[in-house]
Amino acid sequence: MGHNWDFSSVFASRALLLQGLENTLILGATCLALGLFFGLFVGAARFSGRAWLYFPATVFVEVFRNTPVLVQIMWFFFAFPIIVPFQVDAFTAAAIGLTLNTVAFSSEIYRAGLQSLARGQWEAGRALGMSYWQQMFRVILPQAARRMLPAFMNRAVELFKMTSLASVVAYGELMHQAKVVSTISFNPIEMYTSVALIFFAVLFPMTVFARRFETRGDPRGRS
Amino acid sequence: MGYEWDFAVVFRDFDLLLLGLVNTLKVTGLALLFGVPLGLALSLARLYGNFAARLFVGLVIEFLRTTPPIAQLFWFFFALPILIGVEIDPFRASVLTFSLQSSAFFAEVFRAGIQSVEAGQWEASRAIGMDRNETLRRVILPQGVKRMIPAFLERAIELMKTTTLVSAISYADLLYQANSVAQSTYRTIEVFSVAAGMYFVVIFACSLGVRRLERRMARSGETVMN
Repeated sequence: MGHNWDFSSVFASRALLLQGLENTLILGATCLALGLFFGLFVGAARFSGRAWLYFPATVFVEVFRNTPVLVQIMWFFFAFPIIVPFQVDAFTAAAIGLTLNTVAFSSEIYRAGLQSLARGQWEAGRALGMSYWQQMFRVILPQAARRMLPAFMNRAVELFKMTSLASVVAYGELMHQAKVVSTISFNPIEMYTSVALIFFAVLFPMTVFARRFETRGDPRGRS
Repeated sequence: MGYEWDFAVVFRDFDLLLLGLVNTLKVTGLALLFGVPLGLALSLARLYGNFAARLFVGLVIEFLRTTPPIAQLFWFFFALPILIGVEIDPFRASVLTFSLQSSAFFAEVFRAGIQSVEAGQWEASRAIGMDRNETLRRVILPQGVKRMIPAFLERAIELMKTTTLVSAISYADLLYQANSVAQSTYRTIEVFSVAAGMYFVVIFACSLGVRRLERRMARSGETVMN
């Protein structure tokens, strides 16, 4: 165990690592925003009684929940460009894969959240003459959102962990930067240790926050 | 979109993909074999250990749960061998990583299961003179474990999906095999689609089984979710 730990080489390449962290956050934030947005519609379709909405949404959700996310990223990087008439770079492929994955998982959170509300809320909305989307956005979602929040935060943590897979298709996020730098400066021990610590430092506060929501409900006391 | 699909090539190399699938299942199975008992040990240490043990084990579990598995895998494959001066092949690094990684998640499942057993069970055991270990072994775990089964199986499915990462350190799992078949046949889209389909068949079948079990257990009211 005579290894001489030396983190100065890691610190020397901090610019590259920060660039990687920035790319990680960009990729994660993009996929989170798009995933939560489209997830609502897929979740609503899964919630709907109409077969032409329910069926395709269910197939989509099952496919993306029951295949490994790395396979999805690889498919969009290697296979997808062949059938579309444009170039797909590493960021796009990773973003599409991770977004669709997040859509599938978040749609289930929306669905569970929507189902947890009593039917009377919909009926009351309708009695006031609201349309379906008015009931959804003014009555149901504001109430369901609070119950869904912890699950979404867990999803976000999972998503940020998954962005590290983009390194496999050579998108320059934190993990990829670490890989590149460690082969140049021969410091895999310090480099990979640092990367794990950086991820932990970013994600652990998020998990703690999510757990507080879970155990206490809304911290402002309106659960 | 004038692409001509040709799945014949894929099926000529189907045995290579099947071999990959077997390797995927092998890593998953071994990680489960080591991860589950280790998870039980971690959960007991986190629940009943002394202060130092609780703090240390808690930190280890949180660390394994919140760092990306690929970072852990690279650490065990690229960093650990230099640190200890022993060569670790991709297979061993994979099993090691995923045993540890999954044990952290299993520990949380065990903890939820143990904590879900009512306090009255502890009191009743104490009333008939059992000590803590006996109570755990004979009363709490048998009841807790039963409720944990769906959560366990879900974690096992997650684990199988996560093992695709081993392809990044060139262990010949299904994804790795798909990649090499795609490169040799130039039938990328067909190969990756078939591989994705194989994953889907296995994982979806497991998910359906778990869901059925969950429903059955929910009806009899003996499940905890993690």
